[in-house]
Amino acid sequence: MKKENDHGKPGHKYGMVINLDKCTGCGTCMVACAAENNVSVRPDQSDKERVITWMRLYRITNGKEFPDTEVSYFPRPCMHCDHHPPCVSVCVATATKLDFHTGIVSQIYTRCIGCRYCQAACPYGARYFNWWDAYFPKGKGLDRYLSPEVSPRMRGVVEKCTFCHHRLMRAKSQAYAEDRREIEEDQYQTACTEACPAGAITFGDLNNPEHQVSKLTKHPFTFRLLERIGTEPKVYYQSSRDWVRKLGDNFLPGEYQPVVNKTWMKEEWSTKPGRDTF
Amino acid sequence: MKLTRRNFIATVVGGVAGIQVTPLPWKFTDDVAIWTQNWPWVPVPPTGEFSEVSSVCNLCPGGCGISVRKVDNRAVKIEGRPDYPVNAGGICPVGMGGLQLLYNESLRFTGPMKRVGMRGSGEFQNISWDDAFRIIAGRISALRKSGRPEAIAAVDGNREGTTASALIERLMQAVGSPNYVRLPSLSDTYRMGNIVMEGRDAPVAYDLENSDFVLSFGCGLLEGWGAPGRVMNAWGMWHDANPAKRKTHIVQVESRASNTASKADLWVAPRPGTDAALALGLAHVIIRSGKYDAGFVAEHTFGFEDWQSTDGRPHSGFKTLVLKNYSPEQVSKITGVRPDVMVKLAAAFRLAKAPVAIYGKGKNDLNGSLYEFMAVQSLNALTGRINRPGGVLLPDPIPLNPLPYFERDDIASQGLKKPRLDRGGTQEYPFTQSLISNFADAINRSPKSPIDTLMVFSANPAFTLPDGGAFKNALAKIPFVVSFSPYRDETANMADLILPDCTYLEKMDDMVWPVGLQYPFYGLSKPVVKPIYDTRNCGDTVIEMAKAIGESVGSAFPWEGFEDVVKERAKGLYDAGGGRVSFDRAAPAWKPQNPKAGDKPGYNSFDDMWKKLMAGGLWYRPLDQAREWPWLFKTPSGQFEFYSQLIDQAIQRASAKDLRIAVRDDAACMAHYATPTSTANRSDYPLSMMPYEMINLASGWIPSPPFLYKTLPDTQLLKETSFAAVNPKTAAKYGLKQGDLVAVQSPVGEVQARIDLFGGAMPDIVYMPVGFGHTGYDEFLKGKGVNPNAIVQAEQDPVTGYPVWWNTRVKLVKV
Ligand code: SF4
Ligand code: SF4
Ligand code: SF4
Repeated sequence: MKKENDHGKPGHKYGMVINLDKCTGCGTCMVACAAENNVSVRPDQSDKERVITWMRLYRITNGKEFPDTEVSYFPRPCMHCDHHPPCVSVCVATATKLDFHTGIVSQIYTRCIGCRYCQAACPYGARYFNWWDAYFPKGKGLDRYLSPEVSPRMRGVVEKCTFCHHRLMRAKSQAYAEDRREIEEDQYQTACTEACPAGAITFGDLNNPEHQVSKLTKHPFTFRLLERIGTEPKVYYQSSRDWVRKLGDNFLPGEYQPVVNKTWMKEEWSTKPGRDTF
Repeated sequence: MKLTRRNFIATVVGGVAGIQVTPLPWKFTDDVAIWTQNWPWVPVPPTGEFSEVSSVCNLCPGGCGISVRKVDNRAVKIEGRPDYPVNAGGICPVGMGGLQLLYNESLRFTGPMKRVGMRGSGEFQNISWDDAFRIIAGRISALRKSGRPEAIAAVDGNREGTTASALIERLMQAVGSPNYVRLPSLSDTYRMGNIVMEGRDAPVAYDLENSDFVLSFGCGLLEGWGAPGRVMNAWGMWHDANPAKRKTHIVQVESRASNTASKADLWVAPRPGTDAALALGLAHVIIRSGKYDAGFVAEHTFGFEDWQSTDGRPHSGFKTLVLKNYSPEQVSKITGVRPDVMVKLAAAFRLAKAPVAIYGKGKNDLNGSLYEFMAVQSLNALTGRINRPGGVLLPDPIPLNPLPYFERDDIASQGLKKPRLDRGGTQEYPFTQSLISNFADAINRSPKSPIDTLMVFSANPAFTLPDGGAFKNALAKIPFVVSFSPYRDETANMADLILPDCTYLEKMDDMVWPVGLQYPFYGLSKPVVKPIYDTRNCGDTVIEMAKAIGESVGSAFPWEGFEDVVKERAKGLYDAGGGRVSFDRAAPAWKPQNPKAGDKPGYNSFDDMWKKLMAGGLWYRPLDQAREWPWLFKTPSGQFEFYSQLIDQAIQRASAKDLRIAVRDDAACMAHYATPTSTANRSDYPLSMMPYEMINLASGWIPSPPFLYKTLPDTQLLKETSFAAVNPKTAAKYGLKQGDLVAVQSPVGEVQARIDLFGGAMPDIVYMPVGFGHTGYDEFLKGKGVNPNAIVQAEQDPVTGYPVWWNTRVKLVKV
């Protein structure tokens, strides 16, 4: 990435680390995302193939019998895959692009022709098609809470998480107004990050070694979803539980390597922790 | 040319390549884009000037600080406030979706209304506020004139201690009716437990953030227990990415693999309703090892060793009882938890530096059991974890000014002498202030409703009470029902008159001591937007109403409006001194701070404090962790009482049987476990049903913002049907598969749900989510799933009389 952007000048590469031990499964990130980004809410939200959830909580269980059963959650925004995001390569209308300055995979609704190639190409199910117009029936007045920062979508286009791109714009305008060249870590944070009551989500510039995210990605408990298909997601997860990490990819029997005795900042810990050994 | 695979590909590839070089598709795409840009039916949110308004979320007893983004006068987004002591930036999903409760016309009442359709049909007609006041005041005055003020009743869902509830209670006093009924919640169980063991009528204060071992008996830490903003923030702190830095261990005691149970360091699953036995089993292990806090027990407790009362009667102490009845083997038979787990857990609890055992049942909305609370609190006392940092703290109540004295007229004095319909505070229910289940029962049992006019404030008992629909039936019998709800909920739909309150974003309201918080806290919310419909703050409505009734009732309310009352009460905070009205993130309120002598409170007069309190919406006293021992316990013995003399006295006055206590003698005054009674036949109803709560579905009187339905998996709600979680083994016994539609039948009713096979469900228990099955509200919530409360058959909890809602016998019948 570094090499490709802006003729060799290292740019930003925004990314996210979600700590699944902290994640409580509360769903605030989903609600915050929908509220922030004017996502349409229809009366039936149980048809998961039609409902739009830029951020979606996937509920997983360890499959063990009572009383050893555990559930956990994967909050899943768009992974903002690096280099060659599968959705970008297939888009016939150039409606979705990887921005080399920020690492954000954009979606331009007015260019989208609704062919849904990208939706089929995305291995993470992060893209959603508008089967209907945004649902704001007359007489209810629900449209009064719509934010002018994000345009509501029309029937027939695909939409997805933008890493709250408008917030980056907001931070940029602010920086410009204050005559700054750089945006500080806390000046651009996504809605889901800010909303999470457990502080499970960390957002920042993966290219900036000072940012929390760059440090957290080096942790041995850090992994990405379907890492081996080479999409290079910029959304990372952390979990101290083996079974959770194992569900991050499709492993053949015996292929998964548990994290044991790896050290992180050496002096700090060197045993396999987690619930299993408590 | 024969079409082979090879030349087929060649043709397609060639074709595609050809298309790529012509400009046509690009032009076409562009045209499409321009065309779509001009679609007229997509709303274009108007832009304007952006601003942020700070307030407090009042949707649950959690009191999170919120900041609302506005564009001109529209609120467009709610966010958590990082400069607030309770939640430190995050909020829960319900609070996050709050704007959908504000801007939804079909969910709300847009002005005062009277019923025109059938009761429950939800058909109302607009009337003016003047007319509304005339109707209600006329009705109340007439009842007073005819000497029946006790036929007026109020059901109040506001939390105890809030200004709104103080005004409503005062109205009932002034009018002269003893029938002021509150909804039971976990706070009531806490309050009662604190009274009988510590002699303190105060909220419970768990110092979670300073603890290193949290043993939670049933608290849905991640399901919305306590102040969710605070608890989940603590959860994040406890789970540092670096496990070596994790100081706090969390153990969850619960029968289902809830989020909390799954995410805890250890999950212990006793049968529902046997928590007391488990706590006492742990106490047994600790006592037997001799490693309890003997100093604390000797100095600050009563009833641990065997003792003799003044009349010379010998009594067995807590120790004897626990050693005799609660060995791990005995407890294992009751709870199903393996003895070795208990031994290990007890050791871990004892060895931790600052352990705390906390008690709850899911969220805060429903009550717990008194003896269970006592068992858990006994465990804290045994290990000396009361009035110690990281344990259970005993702060004083919030020093709000009481409302001034007022004169009652004769009618009121006579009326107040009449017995309460719910028998709260009588010999049978000595510590219970109100008992809505008895209230409903009394109405249902008499041929003609003894209540003529019922006013319902901030509550939706027709939906939220786990009473098998008893309250709903009572509602139908009451001649005149008035609802003050802003929402078209089930109870409001049964009303004859609606005097709609504003939603929480349109009004001033106060928040007194979020549940479980360890330091005194008072929050004040303010109108974020002007009322968007013709609704009024319920506090103002009550004052207006009293004035419309006039006479001594009117003069009991000398205030202009609600704000004056709030201010008058808040003056007490100023007079008491020592509180802060601003918060510095660097000094979390739960961190012990050593206030220096010269510390300024940050305000110099009451008016200055009031201004800052209104702006910031917070008042708190930084944690003062351990307090001086003398006078701390206000029990008859002046100690923490393992053996509650107050319960003893209550038994002397009535009898153990009248108090519904299953055991006799000394055990009745101490924490104990007794097999719950059920009138249902086990062979007819082989399973039991346990309602469960979730953080992403509102289950109290506040409706769920429709956003929340995005977060629900399709194994909890699918189209119109909700799911009942059962263990695969149990399902197999009845030949049920994933998704099968079943009737869940209890002795009092039946609901239909789909089966969700869930390994984390305890065998033989049917778990049903609470919050579905609305018949009120609008298309987003109506007719989705079923409400398990409708089939709950609840016995009464010993001493308190609150419903034992976690033990309904049911059977499953495939539909
Ligand atoms: S808001 Fe945070 S804790 Fe809640 S589900 Fe999302 S990531 Fe998890
Ligand atoms: S980054 Fe923004 S758009 Fe993406 S999931 Fe989070 S809130 Fe939604
Ligand atoms: S936890 Fe309670 S107070 Fe906090 S946002 Fe949620 S509903 Fe509001």
